[in-house]
Amino acid sequence: MNAALVLGVLASAIASGTSLLYATLGEIVGERAGIVNLGLEGIMLIGAASGFAATAMTGNPFLGVTAAALAGAAANLIFAYLVVGRQANQLATGLTLMFFGLGLSALIGRPFVGTLIAGLPKLRILGLGSMGDPLTAYDGLVYLVVPTAILIWWLLFRTTWGLGLRAVGESPVAAVAAGLRPGRLQYQALAIAGLLGGIAGAHLSLALTLTWEEGMTAGRGFIAIALVIFAKWNPLWAIAGALLFGAAESLQLQLQAAGADVSPFIMNMIPYLLTLLVLIVWGWSRQAAAPAALGRNFVGVE
Amino acid sequence: MTRISALAVALAAAAAAFATGPISAQQKPPLTVGAIFVGSVNDYGYNRSMKDGLDEMKRNIPGLKLIEAENVPETAESERIMEGMIQQGAKLIFATSFGHQQFAFNLAKTHPDVTFEHAGGWMQAPNFGNFFGATQAAWYPMGVAAGKMTKSNTLGFVVGVPIGYAIGNVNAFEMGAHSVNPKAQTRVVVTGGWSDKAKEAAAANALIDQGADVVTMHVDSPATIIQTAEGRGAYSIGFQSIAARELAPKGWITGLGFTWGPFMTETARSVIAGTFKPAMVRQGLGSMMAVAPFGAKVPPDVRTLVTASADKVAHGFNPFTGPVTDNTGTVRIAAGESWGGDKMGNFDWYVEGVIGKAK
Repeated sequence: MNAALVLGVLASAIASGTSLLYATLGEIVGERAGIVNLGLEGIMLIGAASGFAATAMTGNPFLGVTAAALAGAAANLIFAYLVVGRQANQLATGLTLMFFGLGLSALIGRPFVGTLIAGLPKLRILGLGSMGDPLTAYDGLVYLVVPTAILIWWLLFRTTWGLGLRAVGESPVAAVAAGLRPGRLQYQALAIAGLLGGIAGAHLSLALTLTWEEGMTAGRGFIAIALVIFAKWNPLWAIAGALLFGAAESLQLQLQAAGADVSPFIMNMIPYLLTLLVLIVWGWSRQAAAPAALGRNFVGVE
Repeated sequence: MTRISALAVALAAAAAAFATGPISAQQKPPLTVGAIFVGSVNDYGYNRSMKDGLDEMKRNIPGLKLIEAENVPETAESERIMEGMIQQGAKLIFATSFGHQQFAFNLAKTHPDVTFEHAGGWMQAPNFGNFFGATQAAWYPMGVAAGKMTKSNTLGFVVGVPIGYAIGNVNAFEMGAHSVNPKAQTRVVVTGGWSDKAKEAAAANALIDQGADVVTMHVDSPATIIQTAEGRGAYSIGFQSIAARELAPKGWITGLGFTWGPFMTETARSVIAGTFKPAMVRQGLGSMMAVAPFGAKVPPDVRTLVTASADKVAHGFNPFTGPVTDNTGTVRIAAGESWGGDKMGNFDWYVEGVIGKAK
């Protein structure tokens, strides 16, 4: 282990963990309201493509992020209409949304493949270091992600709105008895989830890679769904989860670059092995953390 | 309002009729060529190189009609798309991705009057040939360029999937670097797929963190890696399409690109003349591959060295001439032996000077 490796892993974990964290936070909000959205990958793709398209057209990456967030929210509201409004099966609808996102993002992004964009500007922390140094220069979305996690935590656990939302996720019948409207809260939750999922995608295309390519999320939406379980549906734990997974991904690449004597095929498995391991270890603790009504459609009370 | 839109529809229909109608009245094109791409032709990479080659063919043969389809998956879908091109009159089809091979071959059997050329495969029939660039030796001059430009003596190479051909590219690159700078070492990072942009960015960062000041790659599209290197002030060397230069105005050294134009033109002419002969064509620098223009920071003496080295390779110099030792000290190619052609797929070891494991 050399210093360059440790610093490199840290810098890279923060950069690649950011997108995962936005996505995970979005999924947590939705699942706290009792809705599993397996279409997160599709939402991220729509965000990545529309963010890239808007940036390419206007030259303004901040408009790109806004477009990504709105597109993600709009797509997730279609999902909300199906599972909340029409009582469709959440798992099946989620997977359909994933494929819808894959196709729609390909359509949106198609004219912009190969377009060059400047991307989100990197901001230095308090003027430390040089511009090229990744440890001290990140884009704005990186700096905003932890405050966003804290904000989501505060909304969920310290506001009446959040209490109501969690009540819907635990027991919609009780929520109705308390005078809440589960459907409305679920729509709100899924709109926020789509917003965050869209931003997660935009971070990939506008900050990390500066390119749009079909299917560029490469499974990160599903990793984020696994991270929700890791985080026990808690936005603050999600910070640790996203960092850990980001670190695992960058560690294997950094180890290769440092010349570790391990097969690259085994290296490439590290992040996924870690995910499995964490889920197994977490599975041993039987404390029920999942919202009780998660995945069940609420059809109303007599 | 309704009347106006009805009028517009009628006008559009009339325009469409005119647009399609007179085609039969026009003189018949000498040849209709179909081409399928696995990705987008704007990828600054492999698909772009194919598109550039086809456009050159089109310019060379006046009146030639070109039908193209992008993002064609390597599934039976590709067979349907090519079938559609044949229905539109295509008599020559370029199937440009490795996984299109079997589907193109199926059609070659049912359409003996249509000629097929596949990129990268091995199958052959009277109306089915294949072609590809001999990339490995062509990487040698890229190594020369990198070896001369590096200050840290550390070169970074991002590899998508470590197949024999890709490992051969890395090996020739390091050998070229070593020939001008014995201290130059190449660090390899494998991402595990030909296209995972976020991982490619992280891989390029990892190499730069470990001291690499020149970064190159063998993935589908070099765009993300080159832009990442540019953002961190490192040099880059491109691969697949020489157009990648636009991505790095500051750090671009040079690149290796495919130049399919002459081969495609020649094939189209042979189909028109009825003299097509199937073959397994593999050509390197000087025909199917070219060295990209140099970046502004490359001094004249380095340009001369790289150009001379590329000429040497074009005239038959083979870097894989023994003795060649791997990075564990074992002699892999004995003195007096040399590797070429099909052997390029057999690399499962890196040469001395490469830091990385092949399997």
